[in-house]
Amino acid sequence: MDKVTLQIFANQCRAACAVMAETLYRTAHSTFVRETFDFTAGLTTPDGEMFAYSEDIAATWFVGLNMGNAIRKIGHYEEGDICITNDPYGSGFVCTQSPDTHLWMPIFHSGRLMAFGCCHVHNTDVGGAVPGSLSRTLSDVFQEGIRIPPLKLFRRGELNRDLLEVFLTNVRVPDQNWGDLKAQVAALKVVERKVKQIIDRFGPDAFSEGIRALLDLAEQQARAIIRSIPDGDYFFCDYVDEDAVTGYPLRLAVTMRVRGDELILDFTGTDPQLACSLNIPTGGNERHTVLLVALYHAFRTLDPNILLNNGIVRPIRCILPEGSIVNPRYPAAVGMRSLTGARLQDVILGCLAQALPERMPACASGSISMVVVNTMDPKAGRIAVATIEPMVGGGGGGPFRDGTNGVGGTISFLHNTPVEVNEAEVPFEVLRYELIPDSAGAGLWRGGLGTVLEFKVFSPGSSVTARNRDRTRFRPWGVAGGRAGKPSEFVLNPGTDRERNLGNVDVVYLEPGDVIRITSCGGGGWGDPYRRDPARVLADVRNGFVSAEAAEAEYGVVIRDGELDPEATARLRASRPTPADGERFFEFGPERTAYEAVWTRRMYDILTELLWGVPVTWRGFFKGKVFEAVDEISKTRQPTPDDLRAVFGRLKESFFGPA
Amino acid sequence: MTYRIGVDIGGTFVDFCVFDEESGRLTTFKLLATPGSPGQDVAGGLGALAAQGTLDPARVVHFAHGTTVGVNTLIQRRGAKLALLCTEGFRDVLELGRLDLPDIFNLFSERPPSLIPRERVVPVRERIRADGSVSVPLDAKALKLALDRARSVGAEGVVVSFINAYKNPQHERVAKAFFGAEAPELFTVCSTDVWPVIREYERTVTAVIHAYVYPAMRRYFDGLEGALRSAGIGEGASVVITKVNGGVMGVRRAADHCVWTLTSGPASGVIGAAYVAGLAGAPNVLTLDVGGTSADIAVITDGEPMLGMGHHVGGYPIYVPAIMVSSIGCGGGSIAWVDDLGVLRVGPESAGAEPGPACYGRGGQHPTLTDAFAVCGFLAGGSLAYGALAPRTDLAVGAIRTIAEPMGLDLYRAAEAIINLAVSDMYLESSKLLARWGIDPRDLSLLAFGGAGPMVGCFLARELGIRRVIIPPFPGVLSAAGAVLADLKSDFIRTVLIDLDGAAAGSLKAGFAELKAAAFEWLRQEGGVADARTADVRLSLDMRYTGQAYEIEVPIEERWVETGDVEAIRAAFHARHEQVYGHSDPAAPVQAVNLRLVVVAPTPKPALAEVEPADSDEPEPFRLGKVFYASAEQTMPFFKRQDLKAGHRLRGPAVVVEDDCTVCIPAGFEGTVDRWGNIILEDRLDG
Repeated sequence: MDKVTLQIFANQCRAACAVMAETLYRTAHSTFVRETFDFTAGLTTPDGEMFAYSEDIAATWFVGLNMGNAIRKIGHYEEGDICITNDPYGSGFVCTQSPDTHLWMPIFHSGRLMAFGCCHVHNTDVGGAVPGSLSRTLSDVFQEGIRIPPLKLFRRGELNRDLLEVFLTNVRVPDQNWGDLKAQVAALKVVERKVKQIIDRFGPDAFSEGIRALLDLAEQQARAIIRSIPDGDYFFCDYVDEDAVTGYPLRLAVTMRVRGDELILDFTGTDPQLACSLNIPTGGNERHTVLLVALYHAFRTLDPNILLNNGIVRPIRCILPEGSIVNPRYPAAVGMRSLTGARLQDVILGCLAQALPERMPACASGSISMVVVNTMDPKAGRIAVATIEPMVGGGGGGPFRDGTNGVGGTISFLHNTPVEVNEAEVPFEVLRYELIPDSAGAGLWRGGLGTVLEFKVFSPGSSVTARNRDRTRFRPWGVAGGRAGKPSEFVLNPGTDRERNLGNVDVVYLEPGDVIRITSCGGGGWGDPYRRDPARVLADVRNGFVSAEAAEAEYGVVIRDGELDPEATARLRASRPTPADGERFFEFGPERTAYEAVWTRRMYDILTELLWGVPVTWRGFFKGKVFEAVDEISKTRQPTPDDLRAVFGRLKESFFGPA
Repeated sequence: MTYRIGVDIGGTFVDFCVFDEESGRLTTFKLLATPGSPGQDVAGGLGALAAQGTLDPARVVHFAHGTTVGVNTLIQRRGAKLALLCTEGFRDVLELGRLDLPDIFNLFSERPPSLIPRERVVPVRERIRADGSVSVPLDAKALKLALDRARSVGAEGVVVSFINAYKNPQHERVAKAFFGAEAPELFTVCSTDVWPVIREYERTVTAVIHAYVYPAMRRYFDGLEGALRSAGIGEGASVVITKVNGGVMGVRRAADHCVWTLTSGPASGVIGAAYVAGLAGAPNVLTLDVGGTSADIAVITDGEPMLGMGHHVGGYPIYVPAIMVSSIGCGGGSIAWVDDLGVLRVGPESAGAEPGPACYGRGGQHPTLTDAFAVCGFLAGGSLAYGALAPRTDLAVGAIRTIAEPMGLDLYRAAEAIINLAVSDMYLESSKLLARWGIDPRDLSLLAFGGAGPMVGCFLARELGIRRVIIPPFPGVLSAAGAVLADLKSDFIRTVLIDLDGAAAGSLKAGFAELKAAAFEWLRQEGGVADARTADVRLSLDMRYTGQAYEIEVPIEERWVETGDVEAIRAAFHARHEQVYGHSDPAAPVQAVNLRLVVVAPTPKPALAEVEPADSDEPEPFRLGKVFYASAEQTMPFFKRQDLKAGHRLRGPAVVVEDDCTVCIPAGFEGTVDRWGNIILEDRLDG
């Protein structure tokens, strides 16, 4: 297929996906789809490679999804079949958390299997231990709801009512699941018709050639981008605040190896799998899409014309230690993988920031917490439950511009809910919803500001759920001399004697009159703040983004009575010793610096090695015990690698007996 | 003899459309726009029309006008320096918007900067609750502080937008009165006076854009009447301004409603298109208006243009009811290029109107879509812009060659590749929009207009599976024609947010009665433009299932409100929900969010003259030309549009040449000229 025809073919396939996604979005029942856009739509080859994807609406995570494992679990396909799965393990890790219900449909031409239409919806609930089926507290996948392994929901166009009934019997709001399933089925039928038209137009052989060519073109585009990245090994790690409710930090580490037009992501040094739901199920698949989301964003940023399909993952390979967070063994719980996944994106972007400092931004706030309020409406005598705001936080500063305020990074598809709509629907009062001055990381280009949401409830029995909150401890980092953004907060009754820091708590129960304050992080800064144009700093001060005190302390810019003092600024800026080149490329903030003073890279390498010397089921447990002991030592002195080995040795002995 | 005139100012040209009421004859005229002095365009054009004997200004009874003054002020960021008074604790309504960014994959995606920088956003101590009661009273001290702040930042105007003002606008009004008394040099706009709807960002940004363009539009409208008088148009003529809702309003109050005039030109185009489509017997239409830099599409269903809210102007959303015209970044001036991997691309860069495509001979070097048509031979023998330009094929050839060589294609195949790809890009973008609106293109006809619309219309129709294409008789000035045809129209809204149960009947009745009173007061003030006795009032409700985040507008009958038939209203909602989303839940509780009322007073419509009947089926081509098309050189007939008479048959491949555009008819399309001069083509190709 010549290149012009291929472009036209690509447009046809993209249009088919768009029509499919819009149909799904328009007809889905659950507010989850409508408000958080947590669904996708695409087309795969008969082998399951995604060759076209809905790029304009829907979530960004499944661009490189390979449906092959799930497709192969069904032996034989016939016209009119529609298959379903929501089982992370049973689907061969095509599905990665139980609320994600995937459907796929074979598309035939004269009896020949040409492609699959596929789509997924994040269902509001699929049963299990908690409403919504997701919680950090869950310890195995059985608690995360009913799981359907790959099965035919429709056989030659006929609904499998038995399967449907079993599914709907086990979920909390069956009407919504059924409504969303119907939307998915409608979307698949639309795309089947569109694809058949494309096949009629180009011919079946050209179609098959065309879909391969689309994958090849995306691969070429990705290779061209990778070639523009200097060869080298780039290591980065970052932390989720807690590996369980009030647990120890969870470490995600990656070494990105760039060689010519190939890229390896080696996850050695990433924590062992956990007895909570923060695990990311990949089955050890070297190119699993949930690991590579950051690269889709980075590639699109570096080349706005790149085709988004499975071809772009071909030059990439992941090394996934077995029994780690990124390759957990059955039956690990996986429901909260989106929290871990968001941090994983930061880790990969941290590698890229080192490789391409002039083309990549600093860290964005990296939290996707949906705040849900549950309270009594005394007038209507009913419980009011509403998702009030996604608390996203600022984008990272970039090499040529400031980060976006209140939103950015890889999470720019969410909408907020107007205060007026919230107050009309929930009997509570919003006291404040605005940007937080001085929350952004300073820089030549500063981060975007974080947001604060403060509200008061009036009824007994109220509660607030804020799932997926993180970064109350470890901040969004700054790069190239830029500073880290401010961490997030979750506080009950701030500024009163009843104030309580809630940290990363998922659910909090409230009394009438209680006030909740939730803040999101500011983004990290890019470049030395002392090089920021004083006029920009002045504008920031006048706009209330930066206080005059911070202007002086962080930017070396002196502002007196709202005016710039150029002489004092020049003096102050000159008085600071010039930072050495390359010194402190990243700035992480005091919390991580203090933490890593104990848990140095060397210490963690040893810990990783030791943990991988014990069976998978023991690793998470041992990690906790080791941290307990090291914490104790660090109260009196700097723990050493020998301490670590000694602690570990004692643990092994006490649980496994003498070596 | 009397005249009704429409004048629409676009990016490049000022379009004039003159209806002679007696003969029904329509005269069109284009003038190059002079962006520096917009009022001069209108006077100059009228002078020219008078000089050529087309028009006696003293006999003009109706003058309808669409202007780009507001859009240009916004795009060039030359609007008023404003302060925004907001509720304390909610300073970043503008800065945060609704959070979402335009490109979800790009890490550097951003929104355009707020029109009012945060420095000039002044928090005021006050608070209204969701039920309208006062939680924190507004006092003079707070207002004095706000005024000091507004003055210290050098504001020329002030927007007041408080939380929950849609429910109780009292604090906004008090603030406005205070500023009016204490600081008469500042103009003050309340959010609830512009569009009093729930959702603070949408209401605020609309009021801010309104205030931002207000001084420039006030000056323009104030000067317009003078300019018309000096051009000889009498006091008795009604002078109206086009609105984005597809209607018009009197010029005297246009400044006070200026946010409605932004992008009214494309909206008028759709009104013109709906009129023409009605004549051609096509109730469901996709309109395609292709200019130099973009293709604008809209949908007409059952003869009515589709309306929506949240249209973007210069990257900023405006939330008033508007004809949904969506822009696709591909037009006649879109530039073709080859990327590093040898892949051909068209746009998004455009040669625009200046210097324009290479074939315009005005210094353009880059190969554009229009150049590709020129190279293929479609434009030979035609003219552009009423003879002001003759296309230079030699220059187009030079430009296209720069693409052909790196692609390893011959000149003609490269040109055809550009056409095919541009049409395919338009197909992709229009498919997305139609899918979003839940419309199957196969149910539509395509009506193509604008300078480049008739050139690409048939090609795009075939991609979309649309079988019928209509080319109206005056495709270059359809916006000006639409302006003449537009009715006096105004929208009214009130947010109620009530459960639609039996108890709702009283609130609905009272609320609609108030809206109706406001509508007739508005009509009364419009005076002579239209006859209020013929006015039509349309009621609708924005409704949703309780708990849904979005509402849909559902037309309702006045008698349901009068008789308190809430059941009928609910049934209408379930039916509409089923239609739009494919499902409904008759057992679920329903909420009414907004009451809406539209008042329409028809303006007199000129009777369009019919074209002469043809002597025979076959029109006479003025030349036979060689055109490279469908991978081969073909000889095809070229017709002049003015030679086409009612009943003439056309068969592709063929080309019809007009004063300011070219109609390309590919093989497989066949059709006739109807008695109004429309070319109506059917695609006979199996598809």
